[in-house]
Amino acid sequence: MDVVLMIQALLIGIFCYLGSVSSPWLLGVTGGYYTIGRPLVAGLIVGLILGDVTTGIILGVAVQAAFIATISTGGTQNQEITYAAYGGIALGILAGASSGVTVTLAVGIGVLGLFLHNLMMVLNSGWNRRAEKAAKQGSARGIINNNGIYPQIVNFLLRVLPVGLAVYLGEGFVTSFLNFVPDKVTHMMDVLGGLLPALGIALLMNLLIREKTHFIFFVTGFVFIVFLSDSMISLTVFALLIAYIIYLATNNFTPAPNSDDEVI
Amino acid sequence: MPKLEKKDLRKSWLNWAMFHLSSMSFEKLEAHGFAHSMIPIAKKLYKNDPEEHRKALERHSVFYNVEPQVGSVINGITASMEEEKANGKEIDDEVFVSVKTSMMGPLSGIGDSTIQGILIPVLLSIAMAISAGGNPLGVLLYMVGYVTIAAGLSYFLYMRGYQLGVSSIDTIVGEGSERLRDAFNILGIIVIGGLAASFVSLSTPLEIPNGEESLVLQETLDSFFPGFLGLLAVIFSWYLISKRRISATKILLILIGISVVGVLLGIF
Repeated sequence: MDVVLMIQALLIGIFCYLGSVSSPWLLGVTGGYYTIGRPLVAGLIVGLILGDVTTGIILGVAVQAAFIATISTGGTQNQEITYAAYGGIALGILAGASSGVTVTLAVGIGVLGLFLHNLMMVLNSGWNRRAEKAAKQGSARGIINNNGIYPQIVNFLLRVLPVGLAVYLGEGFVTSFLNFVPDKVTHMMDVLGGLLPALGIALLMNLLIREKTHFIFFVTGFVFIVFLSDSMISLTVFALLIAYIIYLATNNFTPAPNSDDEVI
Repeated sequence: MPKLEKKDLRKSWLNWAMFHLSSMSFEKLEAHGFAHSMIPIAKKLYKNDPEEHRKALERHSVFYNVEPQVGSVINGITASMEEEKANGKEIDDEVFVSVKTSMMGPLSGIGDSTIQGILIPVLLSIAMAISAGGNPLGVLLYMVGYVTIAAGLSYFLYMRGYQLGVSSIDTIVGEGSERLRDAFNILGIIVIGGLAASFVSLSTPLEIPNGEESLVLQETLDSFFPGFLGLLAVIFSWYLISKRRISATKILLILIGISVVGVLLGIF
């Protein structure tokens, strides 16, 4: 039994829990899901735990690119990003895998993680019922326990056990699997890694684009980066200016119906 | 005259900031997170009235779902409404429910598009550019930058909501804010266009025979529109989601299929 690896696997599992969407300890989603839970940050943390910060960050950037625009609204998502980030990057470092392979590992783990996340959401209905009953009886303590404490014990177990075990047992398995995989498959993983951001971005477009004409602005941003400058900062400043102009334009436009009324 | 003090409001904000999704389920989402946040308020306002205390906990335990970081303004407004009620103003349970439900939609719209659609992607892409070679500075910049902005915003909005009470609703969901939201939306769409160009990468090794020499297709594409194949991939995925209503998980499988078949046929 490898004690060091066991402790490392446990720590990685604990951070995967702290970065989960429902973990409260780091100001909820603010310091948790949206900070510790991002693959970029997971890369640094896993790198520190496994003693290879540079590789951790490089793989973190790669996995983050694939999940750049992963969004979750109303509790629905297509992947569980924290399982994907912590499990995928840890196994990637341990097996000495390339960026493309690590991204594919992360995607696979993310899909499995979604089952566990949904299981937690279903189990929480039980705690909800107890919290409802506590509210009906006016028990603040009951709400605190059934909202803040008991569901977190379940969430902790559902993160630490599977991720810890996957890291502890998966290392040798992934290494021998990679030795065995032909180059063509590795190339497929690289292609997939490049394609995945398209899905996240499409989900964001679905969230933001409400009218057909909005699509023009999407192409504007794309063309700006491709032809003018590859700096996101300069694009953001440009976008702010455009948005401000549009705000001013709609502002001047709205009083028009009133003046029409006066004419009639 | 029961009066809320700063420390009650701080406790209420902190409960919300921490426990908003703690017992999330498909049927109630943030319901009990909201109740959790109202516990310090109810405790202070109704400490001599167990029945009103009980009712307050019950009316705040119904289905609730909002973008939690921007949504904290609703907790602030609700706290000030509870204070008014405790001081004798006639406010029915339904009024609380309708204030919360009528605001959670628009606020989620603002929150999701500005935080998930703009703030996080922009901060991440700057951090990734710095950290691409393994430099931890970009990661630290993201962590400090994001937490400061989001936690500060959430606290500020809670306190602002409490100060202005119900009168702030018009500013938030009124016509003026709708224009502001539309403008923010445009900002977000331009930025994600840039993200698509930076992060989606697809290229082809195909060569087209052209007399003696062969034409490398990718070079030709790059010469008139760099990133063209990536753009097609985004438009294709967006078409599947918005026009064909295909779920994200199915699209993931389709993308895996495209990668496998594309490599086997030598297209990618």
